[in-house]
Amino acid sequence: MKTNTCSVSLSINGEKKTFATRPDEKLLDLLRREGYKGTKYGCGQGTCGACTVIMDGRAVYACLLYSMQAEGRKVRTIESMGTYDKPAPIQQELVAAGAVQCGYCIPGIIMSATALMETEKDISDEVAKEYMDGNLCRCTGYEKIWVALRRTLDRAAAEPAKKASPKGGKK
Amino acid sequence: MKLCEFVRPASLSQARASLRKLGPKGMPLAGGTALHFMPGKTPVSAVDLTHLGLSYIRQKGNFFEIGAATPLSDIQRYRGPRWAMHEICRRISTHQIRNVSTIGGNICRVFPWADLPVVLLAMNARMVIYSGKLKEMDADEFFSSQPARLFRNGDLLTAVKIPVLKAQHGFGSVKATRNAAAFSMVTIAALLELKGGVIAAARVAAGSAIPFPKRLRSVEAALTGKEPSAETFRAAAALAGTDAKWCKQEGMSAEYVAGLAEVSIVDALERAAEFARGRTA
Repeated sequence: MKTNTCSVSLSINGEKKTFATRPDEKLLDLLRREGYKGTKYGCGQGTCGACTVIMDGRAVYACLLYSMQAEGRKVRTIESMGTYDKPAPIQQELVAAGAVQCGYCIPGIIMSATALMETEKDISDEVAKEYMDGNLCRCTGYEKIWVALRRTLDRAAAEPAKKASPKGGKK
Repeated sequence: MKLCEFVRPASLSQARASLRKLGPKGMPLAGGTALHFMPGKTPVSAVDLTHLGLSYIRQKGNFFEIGAATPLSDIQRYRGPRWAMHEICRRISTHQIRNVSTIGGNICRVFPWADLPVVLLAMNARMVIYSGKLKEMDADEFFSSQPARLFRNGDLLTAVKIPVLKAQHGFGSVKATRNAAAFSMVTIAALLELKGGVIAAARVAAGSAIPFPKRLRSVEAALTGKEPSAETFRAAAALAGTDAKWCKQEGMSAEYVAGLAEVSIVDALERAAEFARGRTA
């Protein structure tokens, strides 16, 4: 049987795109060949989490999805997050905590943390750990990653209170 | 296997027709995670089932009905009266896998480490199969041997029906792993029905440490009519070797696995008794 060429249309970081692909091409390979290289190839077998992206609001392994499974879906990669000059809160906290060692796992960590923060309310440690259980850090820097995540969650939890307090209350 | 074609049927009947036409080269795809690990270079065509409305959980009368393409994370997050499925689902693999992997994929081709067949056997679940029309099959028949046998002619699993537990019912499951995301070494599930302070009925199933998931009928018989006490549970668990020949695993002798299984059975029964006495979450 000959491998068919096909096309897949999806939204990547808010932009609608159509790509030529093959039925057996992984989403990870498609993303990287199209320039979304922040999504990393780690184990290639759904264990390490370096390739984590968000698809329709859920964290998924791009190495365990065929590109054709992304048809009509909204995919977000690390490129949708903060920039060097304007990092997202989780990126700020990871840097502040010294949590970025070799850095290879960090794009995946950030995408899982983002899925957590955008999905859950009143996030307990147990729920946070469930969302992060599919991301490995080969440098074993889990403690600092955890500190950074907890600080980000605490910051986010404090935001509504800050917004609710009267403007200029503190002089 | 090598994926050479991606078919997107618009209906269940189209999906079945495609699979019948493709024969052994047709692979139903929901989460698709298992396809990545199928060895060899045999060309296959994936028949995508994800757009056929098979992802849902709803309570219908005395059953919870779970669509076959429902991701495990949805089952983990769902809450219904005396719902017990979330406990095992939160222990399956990682968050990213649970977001993609489906209940249908977990049970239509049973791998030795699969957890859900064990739970569904204990729960006395019913599987809904589409073969041109819908028919139901109970878990004992469905898991009497590899369920893939039922789908060779293009038939499809559409839903799993799980009985809503009554007040006197209790359910407990235990999965022993080396680390949080690892495959199971032993999975045990137990359903107890208490009446007048004694166990009126029991369903206990095991998996992972045996070649194929099965009910432990000697354990069930030893529980029936007895008080739900630690002594009863330990005595019943000691009979598990009558029903199952525990297999050695990497770094573990068969004797060690047998001991682990017995302890896991006792734990599952204690959880089930606790559930029946009033714990609902």
